[in-house]
Amino acid sequence: MAISLRESVIVGLSDLWIRKVRTVVTVLGIVLGTMSIIVVLSLVKGVNKMTEQWLQERGGATKISVHRNWEYNRENNERWYFDFKELRLIESLIPEALYFNPQFNQWQWYRAFYNGKEFWAPVMGVFPDFTKIEEWDVQKGRFLNNFDLDAYNDVIVIGTTVRDELFGNENPIGKYIYVMDRKFQVIGIMRHRYMKARNQIGDDNALEYLNRRCFVPLSTVLHKVSNENRVQSFDVKLRDVSQVIPFKDKLDAILLNLRHGHQIFTVESAKERIDQSSQDTMVFKIVFIMISSISLFVGGIVITNIMLATIQERTREIGIRMATGARRFDIFVQFLVQTVLTTLIGGILGVMLGISILGKVSSFIDMEVVVDVKMIVLAVIISAGVGLVFGIAPAIHASNLNPVKALRYE
Amino acid sequence: MQEVIIKTENLEKVYDMGKHKVTALDGIDIEIYRGEFLAIMGPSGSGKSTLMHILGCLDTPTGGDYILEDREVSKLKKRQLATVRNQKIGFVFQTFNLLPHLNILKNVELPLMYCGVPHAKRKKRAIEILEQVGLGDRLKHKPSELSGGQRQRVAIARAIVNEPAIILADEPTGNLDTNSGSDILSIFSELHHKGNTIIMVTHDQRVAGSANRIIHIIDGKITNGDIA
Repeated sequence: MAISLRESVIVGLSDLWIRKVRTVVTVLGIVLGTMSIIVVLSLVKGVNKMTEQWLQERGGATKISVHRNWEYNRENNERWYFDFKELRLIESLIPEALYFNPQFNQWQWYRAFYNGKEFWAPVMGVFPDFTKIEEWDVQKGRFLNNFDLDAYNDVIVIGTTVRDELFGNENPIGKYIYVMDRKFQVIGIMRHRYMKARNQIGDDNALEYLNRRCFVPLSTVLHKVSNENRVQSFDVKLRDVSQVIPFKDKLDAILLNLRHGHQIFTVESAKERIDQSSQDTMVFKIVFIMISSISLFVGGIVITNIMLATIQERTREIGIRMATGARRFDIFVQFLVQTVLTTLIGGILGVMLGISILGKVSSFIDMEVVVDVKMIVLAVIISAGVGLVFGIAPAIHASNLNPVKALRYE
Repeated sequence: MQEVIIKTENLEKVYDMGKHKVTALDGIDIEIYRGEFLAIMGPSGSGKSTLMHILGCLDTPTGGDYILEDREVSKLKKRQLATVRNQKIGFVFQTFNLLPHLNILKNVELPLMYCGVPHAKRKKRAIEILEQVGLGDRLKHKPSELSGGQRQRVAIARAIVNEPAIILADEPTGNLDTNSGSDILSIFSELHHKGNTIIMVTHDQRVAGSANRIIHIIDGKITNGDIA
């Protein structure tokens, strides 16, 4: 017939309430420890989410990109680009690809003219699948289609910044602009892209560079504008994330075959970049969790000490309880529960404090933070665990007191 | 013939102080009957408190036997001793020994809590007992808000709330003025008349008037055991 847990909790809580100041001082270490756990986990989660969001904006986790391997030392004469025929061949070899889009000259900027105004814009030759792979379509007019590609049409789709700079308030659809010494008809305007930048140096739109782009059919660029017939990169989109790794291996093999075993191109998947980034933040996370653990450990030792002092002070009370029939186990439970309650309160305070300062931290470093229920529960459980571990020694000490000596204690 | 409730045979308690041994009890043989009011008297250091602690199962003898209600108490484990203290024994101390942070109702509930009586029943029973000792209107008071005599009445209420086999009182009037002391003694007499077994360690000569029997202890030995 032992005292119930509920009884111990009630007794413990009223004890803590009686010694409010001591309770607060006791739990300070636990408060700081759980607070830092919450802050660090939220920041790490925020960084990971931001990376994911970025990659999502750039086409999601099922996107695979092929581009020139800049580390490859070109000693033999293997070509470091694809021609149109090769692209069609690769496309036919990968029927599992949902979308396929080669890109021409991503890095080259051209002057675009309209009505006396000019604007430097990166002009890209692409396939119609571009919109599907990048998950980015026109907001007005239409995007390039297969007919444009087959007919080498002189049509162009422009970004919102290009429109603003060249046309102002005028409707550009159907108008002609001059790019690369040719006359292109504007058939569409891409949706405006925006993502809040991490730091506010210069532009606050991390995706502004996309709004400056122009798109023309890849075939038009290859056959009418450039004599070079060179495509350095293409993107593929798959149906499912689980396909990414096997598909990447297959594509690697195809490219190696095309270039006689030379690693001229690299195949990169968004999924691997997500994994890499969460691995990077993992290190950060581990280091800070270790620092928080030290804080919790020190807090735990403080609690052991204060509980021992409290028990000394309450020796007489323990004697009285024993004289009225408390078993050693009852005394043990009473003090252990009290310690766990103390740290639990500390943990809850720490979580609340952590969440409240996170808002300020996130606006200070201009980064989104993510707080979820799982980490709150984790932090609270850890704090209760600290109480359990560091409360055992004082509780055993209390329960082993001799009732006669305890009753006589002054 | 009266029923024997406590029987000790050659009870010994020797404290090992390292270099030398101190004998507190030196072969106590005692029989106490149910319903008896026994006073134990003796000078300080005579061993009467040690005897009290052993009879109250707070301490264990180093030799001899102690039988409480046909149970060999000296052979019990600590956990069982706690149960005996809880259910068979009610303590009243000189210094009251109430928990200062709890109100008197909670103080009286304490023994009931440790034997697992549900909350509502416990409260009802504690109120009943506190009313019996005349403190029914002070339930929410802390011990520090009461006079010495009132505190001792709370302690008595706590001692009898579990209906123990024996009530052990250690100098219950020692810290009280004469009036409160007589007051407390009359409560003990009343409990005795209701059939409770009372063992009281005391210096108070007035106890002689209420007790059936007085035992004198000197140097750990009983010097007489006359029925008063």
